[in-house]
Amino acid sequence: MTAPALTLAGLGFAYGPTAVLTNLDLEVFPGEVVACVGPSGCGKSTLLALLGGHLRPTHGTVATVGGSRTIYQDGGLFPWLTVAANVALGVPRAVDDRARAARVADWLGRSGLADFADHYPHQLSGGMRQRVELGRALVADTAVLLLDEPFSALDYQTRLSMRRELAATLAERPRTVVLVTHDIEEAVQLADRVVVLSARPATVRRVLTLPPGRPRAPNAPGVADAEQTILEELGLS
Amino acid sequence: MPSRPVAPLWRWVLPIAVGAALVGAWALASATGQFPRGTVPAPAAVARGFAVELRSGRLLDDIVASLYRVGFGFVIACVAAIPAGLALGRFAAARAAFLPWVNFFRTLSPIAWIPFAIIWFGIGDPPAIFLIFLATFFQVTLATLGASAGVPRVYYRVAADLGLSSRQVLLEVTLPAILPQLLVALRVAIGVAWMVVVAAEMIAVRSGLGFLIIDARNALRMDLVVVGMITIGAIGIGLDALFARLARAPMLRWGSER
Repeated sequence: MTAPALTLAGLGFAYGPTAVLTNLDLEVFPGEVVACVGPSGCGKSTLLALLGGHLRPTHGTVATVGGSRTIYQDGGLFPWLTVAANVALGVPRAVDDRARAARVADWLGRSGLADFADHYPHQLSGGMRQRVELGRALVADTAVLLLDEPFSALDYQTRLSMRRELAATLAERPRTVVLVTHDIEEAVQLADRVVVLSARPATVRRVLTLPPGRPRAPNAPGVADAEQTILEELGLS
Repeated sequence: MPSRPVAPLWRWVLPIAVGAALVGAWALASATGQFPRGTVPAPAAVARGFAVELRSGRLLDDIVASLYRVGFGFVIACVAAIPAGLALGRFAAARAAFLPWVNFFRTLSPIAWIPFAIIWFGIGDPPAIFLIFLATFFQVTLATLGASAGVPRVYYRVAADLGLSSRQVLLEVTLPAILPQLLVALRVAIGVAWMVVVAAEMIAVRSGLGFLIIDARNALRMDLVVVGMITIGAIGIGLDALFARLARAPMLRWGSER
């Protein structure tokens, strides 16, 4: 059995007397995609900030093997840098300039952004910006990818194609992923396991394991049942 | 409701037409003897004054002297104020201790410092530069503080993920992130500095556009007073346009287009 890439043990977080998260236990294994869904305002973004080491837990521990990178809903790119320069920032410092440029060009080519290398983020569409963010995170060998509602600022069609793109990218470059989302469909299509969180203070309510194969088509076996179960857990059905 | 934008050609034609109308009215009033003798010079007298001052090189010397004082004072004030503002943004204790005093001095007109400027720095460039420094420093400190407080937290989290050092965070994240807003503040500050230098030059020095005006007044040469005023206004517009142009640089444009 491989060691987990990400371990939460008794994790809790409180702003003063207000508990946001309590007693979360979870292990995420290398290459696994785990989605966290929960009622809105349940502390999903706080959870990701804790996982990314951007907030210190008030209870329990988070252990990440090999560092992590977080991808945000929107606005995580540096607007004063071009697309190429943003992606280049993601390449580890130790890589020399030529290899860095090659990695950046390779990623831009693959994600259809080669013609936009010298554009600035505000000149791109939302979907392109998320592709650049993904690129900045993936040009490094960082083991853990944390996605904070990565596609929820996009229109429906772009969201669908971005989901497919993400699944393809992960098939090619496996990463350990924690995806926080309010989109149940997205969780069920992309994740190996879905963690359903309770309302505030959030804790793990249920963990569902999905049949292998990503991305799952909406009519793939187990998908509809899983969606139904999640809706029930959230009290929405 | 905003009205339709003005076509590029008209953006030149309209202001020039307004200027021509003003000068025309002024010329007409002068020619028909509307102004008591010695109060308002005729446009032709002002034009002659310009020609004489330009030919003698005195006007250019005065322009250079004023610009030098403003440039010097403005640059050292910015060099001091931007780090000060960043430090205030970074450390809550520093903010608590100094922010009220920054506001106190900011609202104190630099002109009020003129007596001390002369006692401390004598006459010549130093007191004028000191006043420009005061006019700029507190404003730019506050603007830097305000801008740095507004940098989205996401940028710092991304920087941490990317493993940037604190030096890199300062130079590669905070500074570029505040630049567009900072530039707006600098544009305002240079305008104030330009106003202050004219006042300073009326007292402590014997060169510059402010001196030109006060010296002309003492000689009852109202035509030269107007020459000085027109020059000051024209350079003021020029400085403002320069900063407006800087704000359109590619790495800054996101600030206004986002």
